[in-house]
Amino acid sequence: MIAIIMASDVGSGTAPVILDHVTKHFGEVRAVNDLSFKVEAGHVVGLLGPNGAGKTTALRMLVGLVHPDAGHVTLFGEEVRPGTPALGKVGALIEGPAFVPHLSGRKNLDLYWKAGRKPLGDPAMEDALEVAGLGDAIERKVGGYSLGMRQRLGLAQALLGRPLLVVLDEPTNGLDPAQMREVREVVRAIAERGATVLLSSHLLAEVEQICSHVVVMDKGHLVTSGLVRDIVNSSGQAYVEVDDREHARSVLQALPTVTSVETEGAGLRVRTTGAHRGPLVAALVQAGLSVETVTTSEHLEDAFIRLVDGQAALETSAKARPQAAPSWTRPSDGDGGAAASRGNGGGQPG
Amino acid sequence: MIGVELRKQVRRLRTYIALGAMVVVPAIITTAFALGGRPHHHPGDPATAALVLFATRSGLNMPLAALSTMSPFLLVVVVALFGGETVAGEAGWGTLRYLLVRPVGRQRLLTAKLAIAGLLTVIATVLIVAVGLLAGTLAFGWHPVTIPGGIALPASTALVRLGISTLYVIWEMSGVLSFAFLLSVMTDSPIGATAGGIGLAIVSEILDGISALGSVRIGFPTHDWQAWNGLFVSPTQTSEMLRGALVQVPYVAVFLGVAWWWFGRKDILS
Repeated sequence: MIAIIMASDVGSGTAPVILDHVTKHFGEVRAVNDLSFKVEAGHVVGLLGPNGAGKTTALRMLVGLVHPDAGHVTLFGEEVRPGTPALGKVGALIEGPAFVPHLSGRKNLDLYWKAGRKPLGDPAMEDALEVAGLGDAIERKVGGYSLGMRQRLGLAQALLGRPLLVVLDEPTNGLDPAQMREVREVVRAIAERGATVLLSSHLLAEVEQICSHVVVMDKGHLVTSGLVRDIVNSSGQAYVEVDDREHARSVLQALPTVTSVETEGAGLRVRTTGAHRGPLVAALVQAGLSVETVTTSEHLEDAFIRLVDGQAALETSAKARPQAAPSWTRPSDGDGGAAASRGNGGGQPG
Repeated sequence: MIGVELRKQVRRLRTYIALGAMVVVPAIITTAFALGGRPHHHPGDPATAALVLFATRSGLNMPLAALSTMSPFLLVVVVALFGGETVAGEAGWGTLRYLLVRPVGRQRLLTAKLAIAGLLTVIATVLIVAVGLLAGTLAFGWHPVTIPGGIALPASTALVRLGISTLYVIWEMSGVLSFAFLLSVMTDSPIGATAGGIGLAIVSEILDGISALGSVRIGFPTHDWQAWNGLFVSPTQTSEMLRGALVQVPYVAVFLGVAWWWFGRKDILS
């Protein structure tokens, strides 16, 4: 049940983030159940899941706020414990920004940094203030800030000192579209300088735009993980536009992996048993057709709903047949929901 | 971290109000005595009543009267506020999680918070005495201190004993401070933690008033709170002070020990 992101073994190493068979209960409630995933340096990873999936608990365990009941959490190869030094390489915005209300934005950033006993140069502070983009308001008490201003200050705080790993929980919450775009650009800039980003968001279009990889959770479990494009492509659906639609239909229907071909707009929607569009293109070209467009017909949002719904159906089925041994938690069992996590070092080839 | 915590706590409205009360109330008491004449004798603890009774005899008597009237309740409220609000307040703001991620070690964080709560307790107690002394001297002049029996203590002797009394009162607050601090670690409600600290003092006072409990009462944290009065009788009585100081030790050790143990294992969900 180990999900793989550019690695075959989450149990060891110095990757920025490793969660290895981590479980956490709150009373009777199992918030996280045997969760494993790994985030390699330089990746921008989206952590997705419906409400109650266990995302925030997983992030809290990652930064040492919550103790796992079982399993191991490591940051840069160091086992996470309260106050573990590796946390000094982490900037975080978890469950919303929070500040001392009677102090100014600048004072909050200053005291936050000084609490860590490390000097912060003026350029680093200026970088953070630029991210916050609060102008003169940075000198005002935080208690009077709007949600958007607090969110931007929270993001600036997470980026103070140029951390190697940035953990962002709903970073665009409370921001307007223009500010959301700015945040996306900030996240891209973080990735470009080689830092790693683990980002939790309900805005799947946003995740699709800025993340290279995703980890999908539901009810404390890992559902799947891998490259965004592999997750999106894993539906086995494609949209094809060619110069001769009817000829193409007959060519595609003859392929053993194609299960259905339907007309959609100016093209064809093709359903296959595989996740790859390469064989479709090859067959069409071989038949002398001119291929205008081949795209996946899904977005991340469609894939997410399909995966989570598929997971729920699997669980219902498992409850109905308790003797059934395999479960969705074993990606290698071949259920559709975990297709992208059948690791080959980076998800399935696209 | 102590410097960071100090800057955070000092610039707070609740700190201004709490310490302001420690300035205003002794000034009001002094003014009332100055305008209303000598206080009248009333039944109660004879030594305590006597200190209030002699309040107008000298500027040096006034801080004794202020300490005697304020330490059993108003100072307790302020100390419980400083102890109960410190960690729970940080959790209430949501900044506790960011401090711990920074990372600030949990033990280091508690040490800094307890140090500042303790420092504010010292400041609050010293303010009562200092303002009482200043206002009393302005109102009643600088004379030897009159103690029960009509004996006059030289000012220098009285000042030394006043200093010892202040230290004693500060230490006597440590049980309440530690209990409020423990509750502050265990809950995210600053009001609850503060009320718990005050509650400890109230329950202890109530039980201490039940004579049927006999010698058990000497183990209550408030039993010897006013034992510093023994420095202002003739001959001086210090055995109760010593006992009162020692009684606080197990309370402080247990409350703080549990606080450290609890916080080290606590899941931070605020």
